[in-house]
Amino acid sequence: MGNPAPSTAARARRASWLTLKAREAMEAWLFVSPTVAGFLIFFAGPLVAVVWYSLTEWNLLTQQMKYVGLANFRDALFENPDFWHVVRNSAVFAVGLVPFNMMLALTLALGLSGRFPGVIFFRTVFFAPVVTSAAAWAIVWKFLLQGESGFVNQLLATVGIAGPNWLREPDWAMAAVIFTRVIKMVGLNMILYIAALQAIPRDYEEAARLEGATNWQVFRWITWPLLGPTTLVIMVITTIGSFKVFDHIYLMTGGGPENGTLVLAFYIYEQGFKFFNVGYASALALIMFAIVMVLTVVQLAIRRRDT
Amino acid sequence: MKVLKQFLAAVSVLAILASPATAAELRFTIWTGNEAHLRMLNGFANSFKAARPDVTVKFETIPPDAYTQKLTIQIAGGNPPDAGWLMEDAAPTFASAGVLEDLASTLNSTKDYDFADFSKPALGLWTAGSKVFGVPFSTSPFVIFFNKDMFDKAGLEDPIALAAKGQWDMTRFQDVAKKLAAANGKYGFEFKDGQGYDSRIMHALMPPIRAYGGDLWANRQCGLDTPQAVGAVKQLHDMVFKDKSIAPPGESADYFSGNAAMTINQISRASLMPKAGFKWGIAPLPAGPAGESPVIGQAGIVVFAAGKQKKLAAEFVAHMTDKANVATAAQFFPPARNSVLSGAGFLGSNNLIPAEQMKFVADAIAKGKVLPSHEKSPQILAAMKPRVDALWRADANVENSLRAVCAAIRPLL
Repeated sequence: MGNPAPSTAARARRASWLTLKAREAMEAWLFVSPTVAGFLIFFAGPLVAVVWYSLTEWNLLTQQMKYVGLANFRDALFENPDFWHVVRNSAVFAVGLVPFNMMLALTLALGLSGRFPGVIFFRTVFFAPVVTSAAAWAIVWKFLLQGESGFVNQLLATVGIAGPNWLREPDWAMAAVIFTRVIKMVGLNMILYIAALQAIPRDYEEAARLEGATNWQVFRWITWPLLGPTTLVIMVITTIGSFKVFDHIYLMTGGGPENGTLVLAFYIYEQGFKFFNVGYASALALIMFAIVMVLTVVQLAIRRRDT
Repeated sequence: MKVLKQFLAAVSVLAILASPATAAELRFTIWTGNEAHLRMLNGFANSFKAARPDVTVKFETIPPDAYTQKLTIQIAGGNPPDAGWLMEDAAPTFASAGVLEDLASTLNSTKDYDFADFSKPALGLWTAGSKVFGVPFSTSPFVIFFNKDMFDKAGLEDPIALAAKGQWDMTRFQDVAKKLAAANGKYGFEFKDGQGYDSRIMHALMPPIRAYGGDLWANRQCGLDTPQAVGAVKQLHDMVFKDKSIAPPGESADYFSGNAAMTINQISRASLMPKAGFKWGIAPLPAGPAGESPVIGQAGIVVFAAGKQKKLAAEFVAHMTDKANVATAAQFFPPARNSVLSGAGFLGSNNLIPAEQMKFVADAIAKGKVLPSHEKSPQILAAMKPRVDALWRADANVENSLRAVCAAIRPLL
């Protein structure tokens, strides 16, 4: 009680525009400014730059840049036969990878969502490849999938099967990169499904079982519909990831053999960093962005229609 | 306050002493990370200090597979090295892009440099009129490395003995590779670094094609569909798929680990041999219908035009390629200086390879031709790759496959 009352006489008068609301807004912006700055510099800036680059012919080595309008897009879409081959490869990769990955992830999640001895161990085993170095994973598989002397073919030989030269025959190479990619990434989707399965209230299943529902009926009419939002998220991120795949292709096949695994992201890399055609590579990147965007919107629309 | 002032003064004095204003550091990119190579290169940097005590040279290793690409990105990103190693397939691209500094005035004004001492053919890729865009530092012919133990086990004469009798030709090479594979249960031959179907296509195809009298391309014409090239590649194809004596696509059979009896490489790889654990030797490439046709891989030392210390970097290049240093480097990187090449010192320069075998290297440099290169090398190789993949199928029609390669690269030539 002995303390003197704080004096307000010395405090500067607050500017009339600095209302409490404005001050709070300023503080909020101040707090988020590091993230916003990072977003603008490392995300929005390059995104805008890519749009500009796509309208130019820019040779990285000579540093010569020329405005060419939509010529890069015209060339890619109508004149370059390799482009559609590459898009087809990306589509094959996505069509092979997405359903396989999702089915395997769901199967594993159904098996490992319960509580039984060793469940944590098995979850860890299937999740471990997700956090394994992509380079190490690809290199090990490259050795396992060698021709006659490869481990996989040696294993097949013990049961009388002559395995193909996995990474040197175009069709088998695509199958091999899809398979090894699925095994590497399936753990992530498995965890998402396990979380979704554990969030489903048990009451629904118990009620259905009292009505005499079989395991399949419980899954088909209760579990699967309730997994819908998670399935959509998984489908979207897996599809986007499959179109963006680069490291796996770079390390396992280099786009070969016979361009059989030359996918869009790898083709963009080749154009930009092997041939130094930055303008053309930027146009291809925007086309890839458009493809992924359309696929995502279609998936969301289908989901909305179904619910 | 007084203590603080004294402390700040002491720190300032230390800072000034630790960073003399005249000190300079040159950044030099190189593909090799081999300890022996780096020791030698650092020796050149140290001896440069005699003339320029204020200059430090830092060698930066970039792995060979990504070398040109990473170098390009450094240049484009405004962070070029001052100087560096450049491989033959990149030289025309870089020279035509104008990113290489003309070294002529520095080299000509360096005392006792004697630029005329460099072999004229060896300078072909690096000069244009009076301009000098690089100095050849490694003019290294391809030779056959062979595992003597495997030859002995198979009861075969080794390639040196066969060459001495004039019997080391492509027919004998095929025969020997097949017998070695049968006797040792390993492949008879492995392409360079096991990359003959991928990043070393040129090194796999060029030696036999030149031995048959052909070329990959010359005078902007594709040479792969000529009878000579078709004959050479058919023989290789038979060795891979009929004889099964060459490690096929998708298999690794590392010569240096004792998993193949022969390979093709350059003498810089001899540094891997002490750890190999078997008796070995080097021999010339087998001759073909066109006689002996040695093939040379080349690399030069260049200064980058966008560098901030071009004059200093050019001085270091002149130092690194003077007679004494070229003679020292010859143990790993065969020289393009005639005086070093013809001197007795070159034959005894490599402590891993006997003088009589170094003679094959000297002969090949004298008679050989550098690998073909082009200002559009990256595009040409990328266009070749899928068509060459198709060639390496067991049921491939070699002639048609090679025609397809030509069709793909012709517009780029």
